[in-house]
Amino acid sequence: MLAAYVQYWKINLLTIAEYRADFFMWFAFTIVYHGTALAALAVTMLRFPSMNGWSLREMFFLYALWMTAHELHNALFFNVVSVPEYIREGRFDRFFVRPFDTLFQVLTVPSRTFPDGFILGLVTLAIATHVAGIHVTPFTVLTIAAVLCGGAGIDLGISLFVAALSFWLIRVDTLRWIVMSLEQDFTRYPISIYTRGVRIVLAYVLPFAFMNYFPATYFLGKHDAAFGLSPEVGLLTPLIGLLWTALSYAFWNLGLRHYQGTGS
Amino acid sequence: MTTFAPYIEYARKAFAREATYRIELIAEIGSVVLRVYLLRSLWTALYAHNAAPTGLPLHSMITYTTVALLMSLVLEVDGTRVIREKLREGGIAVDLMKPIVVPFAYFSDGIGQTLLHAAAIVPSLLFALLLVRIDVPSLPVLAIFCCSLALGYGVNFFVNFLMNGVAFWTLETFGLQLIVRWISDLLSGQILPLSFFPGWFGRAVFALPFAAIYSTPLLVYVGIIPPAKWAAALAVQAAWLAATAGASFLLWRAASRRVVVQGG
Repeated sequence: MLAAYVQYWKINLLTIAEYRADFFMWFAFTIVYHGTALAALAVTMLRFPSMNGWSLREMFFLYALWMTAHELHNALFFNVVSVPEYIREGRFDRFFVRPFDTLFQVLTVPSRTFPDGFILGLVTLAIATHVAGIHVTPFTVLTIAAVLCGGAGIDLGISLFVAALSFWLIRVDTLRWIVMSLEQDFTRYPISIYTRGVRIVLAYVLPFAFMNYFPATYFLGKHDAAFGLSPEVGLLTPLIGLLWTALSYAFWNLGLRHYQGTGS
Repeated sequence: MTTFAPYIEYARKAFAREATYRIELIAEIGSVVLRVYLLRSLWTALYAHNAAPTGLPLHSMITYTTVALLMSLVLEVDGTRVIREKLREGGIAVDLMKPIVVPFAYFSDGIGQTLLHAAAIVPSLLFALLLVRIDVPSLPVLAIFCCSLALGYGVNFFVNFLMNGVAFWTLETFGLQLIVRWISDLLSGQILPLSFFPGWFGRAVFALPFAAIYSTPLLVYVGIIPPAKWAAALAVQAAWLAATAGASFLLWRAASRRVVVQGG
């Protein structure tokens, strides 16, 4: 399985070497995608320096934390997004006749994936950490790495859940697009600006707040004004990521059984 | 009148085609309403902790963002996207052989899509009114707003036309188009009032065609552009409309010649 995975990355790299112009265009898109979000934030906060007690520097760190975890998810798990398309076009069925786990096969369909967005995220996060004045120790680096993995896990859990829905529903593309765009919008601000119901959704139902808000309050030593929880809650992110991925994987397997049922 | 008949038919067909995607439309409405909530939370929090900018109290700001979101329902329609699809699949050659002015046909197609999305404004507004209160200006202001919106719609059509027209030279333009869309969302005043941009950049953004799309109608609506300056503001929009339409005409002439060469 590992050999197959290494082979997958080799094919990806060779494909990118072939389609260089295309690669640079999408890299430019990634820069613009995050760049415009940060620019809008900066312009807003020049006029309004305090976002519920968060400064622009802290908001930059909050965004960078989400961005890096999200880009880590994109680099490793982006193919999950294509599952509805595979099912619609009948390309999904071939995964059943091969001796690997179905999800593993979905993740290793050759695509033009390169961790460029993740590298961009790491650079942004390093700058943001410095700008926010966080004292960096080896322990900080380790915990940030764990939080990023957990955050990518939360993202995977949600995209896997939406993908698994496509075993029952044919058109989930709109749902996926909305979840993705709302995720970027709602994670951009500290959840304390929302009303109670939305805070609860973001913390406990679709736990995006664990991708950046809770860990950021921990690293920045801020008070959690949303629930009044202790900052150490932010360290639960890896656990939440694992839990979400596990639950979605179980749901995915349930969907697979259902899918085989209709196929026969 | 018979000469208009095919274009009316194009618009009617587009309307009927879009009307079959009911779930997409409902999802779009849901997404607009959620964004109204998000931006209400954002601006309420920002105004609560900071001094309000001059001339733009909280209720004006909330009106601005809500109207901008409702406008996006019609302005995000891209009637010229078919150029890109038809170029890839070869359908453009068939269109060019028909006894019609092809750009007009695409414009009519866009109008049909727009009319359906315009219908979605009503439920979106009703749901939005559960979350926010918006200012309703006097009748003359509303009339000028509508004129300005129509001009902005035209500029938006031709900017899209130019972007999609690039596909005549390089087939893969989707990434490029997304880049322009993201930048234009920021620089058109859809996300933020352009007056928030600092210094020389703040003056420069008003000189770009993007400002004619969202910013001018919105600033008329909230009263930042006073009646004395209406004529000048609309004249600038009209100038951009003429410029982008002229550029589109030149692009189309050069491009259709190119298709003939490829076909021969």
